[in-house]
Amino acid sequence: MAAPSPDPRGVAACLSHAAAETTNIGGRLSHAERLRLAVEILSAYARARRALRRAPIGDAVADLRSRSQSAPRFAGSTPATLDEARRLGRAVTRLLALLPGDTRCLARSLVLTRLLARRGIPAKLVIGARAGPEFLAHAWVEHAGDPVLVPGDESFGRLVEL
Amino acid sequence: MTTPDTVTDTSTLLAAKVNVPQHVVYRSFPSETVVLNLQTGKYHGLNATAGRMLEALERAACVREAAVALSESYERTQELVEQDLCELCRALLERGLIEADGGPQP
Repeated sequence: MAAPSPDPRGVAACLSHAAAETTNIGGRLSHAERLRLAVEILSAYARARRALRRAPIGDAVADLRSRSQSAPRFAGSTPATLDEARRLGRAVTRLLALLPGDTRCLARSLVLTRLLARRGIPAKLVIGARAGPEFLAHAWVEHAGDPVLVPGDESFGRLVEL
Repeated sequence: MTTPDTVTDTSTLLAAKVNVPQHVVYRSFPSETVVLNLQTGKYHGLNATAGRMLEALERAACVREAAVALSESYERTQELVEQDLCELCRALLERGLIEADGGPQP
């Protein structure tokens, strides 16, 4: 889990870098599209934090999905949707890692859940844990069973899929 | 439904059916059982024995029935196991990790 860095220059650089990482299925994003994606990630992060403060995790996930305004564009799972989901996952990870506050795995997973829902890409948020040698909990996102964010290793057991 | 306040009576608790609510998930590992309360976001750890007790409680029709099964496998008296089970149940009820239904109503 990357430590957050509050360096504003880092955030600015990451906005550009994260957006550049996220090309659309149809091709590279324009500068305006990159900026929109960065804003979307930050907006989703703020929304996810609010949702978690107000409701249990299950309701927060449902809220992040239900508030999606875009009609689904993808009916199921294809290599293209998996590729798109992973690109978005990388963008979310890179951008949130530079923000202050708790932007670890659960925050990343919630943000990515919203981004994927807005694009009509089905995904599950998985929460897992391991008991030893020391307790650790981890959250990640899967699309059609394939991890989109870094999953827990074999020492982790799945607790719940949301 | 039996609440934590009403289950201080051991006989009531022993007759109750224990359920794990939908907002609670758990998984057993070799060293302990990890329990997650999705409503509070809190993780709880149960040692191997308590984890096995929780599984027995969920399977059994009532706490007393779980005590019978566990007393056989652990070779302990039923009374001793009932005492331990009730203690565990109260701790889990206080944390909202189980619900107890079907016991005699006060």
